[in-house]
Amino acid sequence: MNKKITAIVIVLVVALLGFLGYRAFISPKGVEGGKEVTINIIVEKEGIDETFKYNTDHEFLIELLEEKQEELDISFEEFDFGKMVTGMMGYEVDPTSEYFHIYINGEDAMTGVGEIPLNNEDIYTFELKNF
Amino acid sequence: MKAMKVKDIILIGILSATITAGKLALSFIPNVEIVTLLFITYTIVFGYKKTLLISIIFSTTEIFIYGFNTWLLGYYLIWPLLILLTALMKKIIKSEYGYATIGAIFGYGFGFFFAIVESFFYGIAYGWVYWLRGLLFDLVHGTSNFIIILILFNPLKNLLFKLKRTYYNNS
Repeated sequence: MNKKITAIVIVLVVALLGFLGYRAFISPKGVEGGKEVTINIIVEKEGIDETFKYNTDHEFLIELLEEKQEELDISFEEFDFGKMVTGMMGYEVDPTSEYFHIYINGEDAMTGVGEIPLNNEDIYTFELKNF
Repeated sequence: MKAMKVKDIILIGILSATITAGKLALSFIPNVEIVTLLFITYTIVFGYKKTLLISIIFSTTEIFIYGFNTWLLGYYLIWPLLILLTALMKKIIKSEYGYATIGAIFGYGFGFFFAIVESFFYGIAYGWVYWLRGLLFDLVHGTSNFIIILILFNPLKNLLFKLKRTYYNNS
């Protein structure tokens, strides 16, 4: 039994080191301090194309969206992997065929809103798309 | 012979149900599961042929529960892979530590495997992000698999061998 406990402790220590390594080298890092960012929301079929400029100290996009939730009329859905935007400017996506695609300065975002760090003068575009 | 076949069919149905129930019972803890433990133990006790059939029923049941998703296609590959790997390693592995190690490697590599499957549908960039975003989940998955199998494999295996003998001897 002692041998098993030792094996379990070793595996837990390795997992902890893996977790610390992930946090140090892989997980996205926010940028501290004031930033000016732009949020652009496009829902073509509803004729929505709105642009908002914000000065913020937040480090991640999700924090800014939560602060401006009322103004941008955003709704979120919580999943195991984090929050997902399911509605903007009062438009709710049809979860069977639509989603909000995120662009950062015109490039496809590689992560969800919870992991996108805010950078000064970045433009975050949310465009309704079909899948 | 005919009675034996009926018994096999019933057994496969029951064991498939235990895997689905076991998965649902722990579904509130992300990536902590007993499905890996059950597939490994069933392979050792009942053989890989029956367990492969169980994995097909289990994967199909998942579609009925969650609807069709691309990640469910991976289930039809990854569980048979685990079963065949267990069957192949059976002669080499002498203790529960070996099976716990298989379970750990399986858990750590789970996200990577699905990232490959997803990249066939959505491209390599998506697969790469999918894998990176799930790394912490894989870490939990592999570690919990190791602990669960190390503790539960032997008692479960002994119990199942006993039940198997009773089940087939009573025909």
